[in-house]
Amino acid sequence: MNKRKPVFLTIYTIGFFLYIFSPLVLIFIFAFNSGEGYNFPLQGITWHWFIELFSDKTALHSIENSAVIALISATVSTILGTGLTIGIIKGITKYKAFLITALLLPVLMPSLTIGIAALVFFRAISIPLGIPVVILSHVSISISYVFLIMMGRIEGIHLEIQEAAIDLGASWFGSIKDVLIPGLLPSILAGWLFAFMISWNEFIVTYFLIGTDVTLPIYIFSQLRFGISPKVNVISVLVTVFTLTAAVLLAGSRKIYQRIKTGNSYPG
Amino acid sequence: MSTISKSNKRLIYPALIWFCIFFILPLMIIFIYSFTTDYIFSGGKISFTLNNFLIIFQKKYYLIILGRSLLISAITTFFSIMFSYPVAYYLAKKTRFDKILIVVLMIPFWVNYLIRIFAWKLLLSENGIINQFLLWVGIIHEPFRILYTQTAVILGLIYTYTPMMILPLYATILKIDSSLIEASRDLGASRARAFFDITFKLSFTGIFAGTLLVFIPALGSFAIPAILGGTDSQMIGNMVENQFAHVGNWNFGSAFTLTLAVLSIALILFYSKIFGLETIYKSREF
Repeated sequence: MNKRKPVFLTIYTIGFFLYIFSPLVLIFIFAFNSGEGYNFPLQGITWHWFIELFSDKTALHSIENSAVIALISATVSTILGTGLTIGIIKGITKYKAFLITALLLPVLMPSLTIGIAALVFFRAISIPLGIPVVILSHVSISISYVFLIMMGRIEGIHLEIQEAAIDLGASWFGSIKDVLIPGLLPSILAGWLFAFMISWNEFIVTYFLIGTDVTLPIYIFSQLRFGISPKVNVISVLVTVFTLTAAVLLAGSRKIYQRIKTGNSYPG
Repeated sequence: MSTISKSNKRLIYPALIWFCIFFILPLMIIFIYSFTTDYIFSGGKISFTLNNFLIIFQKKYYLIILGRSLLISAITTFFSIMFSYPVAYYLAKKTRFDKILIVVLMIPFWVNYLIRIFAWKLLLSENGIINQFLLWVGIIHEPFRILYTQTAVILGLIYTYTPMMILPLYATILKIDSSLIEASRDLGASRARAFFDITFKLSFTGIFAGTLLVFIPALGSFAIPAILGGTDSQMIGNMVENQFAHVGNWNFGSAFTLTLAVLSIALILFYSKIFGLETIYKSREF
């Protein structure tokens, strides 16, 4: 490798990180600014916008809806996705490549297409729009993400252990429940967190399917269109803190996974 | 062994059935809508037609939107390659802290993109921070107007999707054997030549994977042009939304949506034929 210190590259990379992070910093600053507008110099520190947010019924309702949708769709898609992953890796041999390509569609296709198609579909079979429909659709998208995450992390986990367990007298169900699932647990957790975040942040598909109800991204979007209140900044601060916690959890689950991969401490 | 596989195989069905009903079936339905004249389930007379597609190519207005969307997405993709290549290269070859830096880089990606776009609105508006700063320094004497233009939309798209470009680039550059570069230098190649003939060529896989991950969502974007753009920067997404939310011509809206879907599926298939799809899901930092 080149031993020369890459001065220009280092400066450029630092600049790039500043570019990526400065908008977030800006939003944080103005969440605590007591002035009404977004001008420098800042006028003083206040909790006013936090209090205002927590007395805004629509905002609270949207947060609640988003949490419910994300919790349910993450849980359902993780259960379905785990079965799918085990089945594809340790079950089928035919049509594997075709299946994987099809499962990549929700990840690669524009959300707009997915949202419109779902809207037309639910209207065609006369199912009313709203939260249940949003969950049905979010699950169909998140299954793919759970599958991809588990595929990406499954290498190095010794899945032959299932055969060993059955040779030693375990039932098929027991071999899944007591042998495979415990070993896959870190990637299952990572899949769940990822599915939660996908659903929590999802905007376009929800926009078309939510009907007259509201989720957090929908609330933010409507705020952005009709005048900007610093309440949006407060939401951003709260969401960012929440997201960071989730990211740390995700990284943590990976650490545990690494430990299982390198050490021989196979749980179960 | 085979009985275990057979039992395991059953596990895919719940997910697969859900996926087929709520993901594949809707796509098939807009396919049918695109080629018919009336709502299928409204009981009216239904007949096959190509009109929904022909309108796109007959009316100048729609062609302009289609062309503009392709152009904006192409510009976005080009600049995200240019901006992120040096960073990906630095992360892959010049630092030991690449793993942690990648995680740090992905943090804003997890914050709702509407919020990040909101920050750009603050930066770009006429009495926004960039204008205030430039006025204060004295570079300009009256605020320049950039919000609600195509430039603002492109800036927002680049900012939103560039992290998607870095990940596959980083993953492919990481795999390039440094001894190849050393060998070429020993054989007399200049640093620039060594870079363009070896590193750059070998990172094509990453560039293409990143292009898929940036170009397709940019082409289908709807919120970013709605928030940062003006009337001259509406894209396919805004047009389609308008058809479904206000105009009410679902067959035509479906045709436009299907065009977008076919375009993206074609890109995906083209890519998987040449490089294989593993590079995409393995390079994403899940």
